[in-house]
Amino acid sequence: MSKGLKADLKKCTGCQLCALVCSATHVGKFDPTQSRINVEDHFPEPGEYTLNYCVHCDEHPCLEACPAEAIKLDEGLGIYVVDKDSCTACGACVEACPYHGCWLDESGTYSIKCDLCGGTPQCVEICPKGVLKR
Amino acid sequence: MGDGYQGKILRVDLTNEKITTEPLNKEWAKQFIGGKGLGARYLFEELKPGTDPLSPDNILSIWTGPLVGTLTPLTGRYVLVTKSPLTGTFLDSYAGGFFGSELKYTGFDGVIIKGKAKKLSYLWINDGKAEIRDAKNLAGKDTFKTEELVRKETGHKFTRVASIGPAGEKLGLISSVTSDITRNAARGGTGAVFGSKNLKAVAVKGSMGVEVQNIEEFTKMAKEMVLKDVVENPDHAGMITDGTPILVAMSNDAGILPTKHWRTGVFEGSKGIDSEAVKSRVLVRKKACFDCAIACGSYSKVNSGIFKGAATEGPEYETLGLCGSNCGIGNVEAVVKFVEDCDRLGLDSISAGNVVALAMDLYEKGVLTKKDTGGLDLKFGNEGAYAKMPSMIANRQAIGNVLADGAKRAAKKIGKGAEKLTVEVKGMEYPAYDPRGTIGMALAYATSDRGACHLRAWPVAADAYGSQDPWSPEGKAAICVEDQTRTSVKWSFIFCDFYSVNFPNMAKYYSAVTGVQSSEEHLRKVGRRIWNLTRAFNVREGFTRKDDTMPERMEKEPLPDGKPKGHVVPRADFEKMLSEYYKLWGWDDQGRPTKKALDEAGLGDIVKKLTYLK
Repeated sequence: MSKGLKADLKKCTGCQLCALVCSATHVGKFDPTQSRINVEDHFPEPGEYTLNYCVHCDEHPCLEACPAEAIKLDEGLGIYVVDKDSCTACGACVEACPYHGCWLDESGTYSIKCDLCGGTPQCVEICPKGVLKR
Repeated sequence: MGDGYQGKILRVDLTNEKITTEPLNKEWAKQFIGGKGLGARYLFEELKPGTDPLSPDNILSIWTGPLVGTLTPLTGRYVLVTKSPLTGTFLDSYAGGFFGSELKYTGFDGVIIKGKAKKLSYLWINDGKAEIRDAKNLAGKDTFKTEELVRKETGHKFTRVASIGPAGEKLGLISSVTSDITRNAARGGTGAVFGSKNLKAVAVKGSMGVEVQNIEEFTKMAKEMVLKDVVENPDHAGMITDGTPILVAMSNDAGILPTKHWRTGVFEGSKGIDSEAVKSRVLVRKKACFDCAIACGSYSKVNSGIFKGAATEGPEYETLGLCGSNCGIGNVEAVVKFVEDCDRLGLDSISAGNVVALAMDLYEKGVLTKKDTGGLDLKFGNEGAYAKMPSMIANRQAIGNVLADGAKRAAKKIGKGAEKLTVEVKGMEYPAYDPRGTIGMALAYATSDRGACHLRAWPVAADAYGSQDPWSPEGKAAICVEDQTRTSVKWSFIFCDFYSVNFPNMAKYYSAVTGVQSSEEHLRKVGRRIWNLTRAFNVREGFTRKDDTMPERMEKEPLPDGKPKGHVVPRADFEKMLSEYYKLWGWDDQGRPTKKALDEAGLGDIVKKLTYLK
């Protein structure tokens, strides 16, 4: 059973409040390119949104792909997170993830993915349309 | 630790192909915040009075504000500030979507563009740098295609693009600048200013982020405000469930829905264009702008019939009124097609609806014939002919060539009494609230700093939509002064119109982001400063009381139906409101800010630049 966020995409309006609060929490400024959740719109056709984020799947192919052992178990939450210091930004995890759940940060220095904000995902708290759930 | 500003301005000289950056004038930022206020200050300083708006000397500037790009809800906006070619006044034209925040993330608070490029070009701004690029392949392309091609050329899937279509390239004075496909900085001929500079588009992509005073405290506060002041705010309930189309039924009930070129305020076909019609017939899903928790936008698409496949974001109330009822169109699907074309071709739908309605009126009166309309049977309600009009206007074909420059100029060219039919102030066409059933709107339109506009003051909320007497001139001047003070501040941060944010909360956001100690009193003073400044700009351009007008029909032609049946806006009432309004602002009886008023507003330094005060 995946431990990541669940999203009811039908309710998403593409406002990006999730990405804003995520970047504020993780990098201390407002910069959606540094967010661990990424909102993609598909307009004008077919008029849908995609949310990309680590779903914390049970298979974790990122873990197997990582040559630097930078993806480590957060024992408290039971999820795998990126250890920024060990990450070499090789991009193997980005390639391996079938969910488009991780990517290199804008400066290309390390891989970023959802860490559930240590247990209280800020995006879930702020989402005004109830799209995201823990 | 930051203060919400990027601290930099980008300057672009298209004539000499020179690009420079400079520090933001922090003193002005403190006095005028951002957006409208800051743009007005730079324009007042740098634009020579009397400049032809379509000449290379006109200044085209693009502004964000200190809250743009932060978690402050409903602030993902930008404003174009320039001198309007439609009205000759100060012009500030806004759009939501995603362009504003993206511009801020490129590292600039504003962009000031002067000159004229030798050939069609676009401006590409990316992380602190900018370049002028050739746009030959974009010539004649609509805004949708332009956005698609520029995204490809710049190599980013989500490069945000503000562009003009054929209407702006052909210097139509009701042309708009379109961003994010369906969002428009539409009013006042912004597109023609782009076109006159050979500027097809401005494209932005940034990853420079925005920093605030105390990110943890601010984020905590903003999160709470998103929930308490936006989502749970009762003022927003209708905007969340319906969006602006909810006003169609309200206006029709009040008898102020412009219908068949302002002949009446009650439309027999209103049920075909109201909020229920939008929701049941064309709505695909609700859609938000950047950092908006309301999501009033509607992505709409026509599923069947002759307009099958037409799609837009909206249509919004103004469009449903002016392009719907005002053209005798009671079919939301036809309006979707019309407004999609306006967005694609780069036309202001408020003005476009008005000029098409004018043409229909003149056609029915026999002033225009099929010879003028390119063979179209341009009767009110003829959907087939109606749907062809945006393209004719944008491409300047047949009667479209005349309509492309707005109702006032079109009527002058057509003659034969057409001048007496136009519904505009200073050349800008009326928005969708007929003052004969909401008298304060006559004053709001007359005194707006960019020509007839509903986004500076909105007294209709208190009378036709509220409990006050909609025909009494009492208290309307005070409402306009209050609204103009508040919106001057709102448009400087830049908040969306649909966030019902009060002064104390604006001060709260402002202080938390910038560290400036602010309060309601402080912001009211800033608002008065900004409104006096734009007024002074217009007076410097020659505008006075004689230009703060009301269309003759509002005074002489009583509405025939509904609640306002038999009502006009009596001349005496209009003049009374206007005099009272000037007095409340502390201006002279010609509507010119006095030295005292300017000093009190903290504008002492511009007094010497105003010859009428010498």
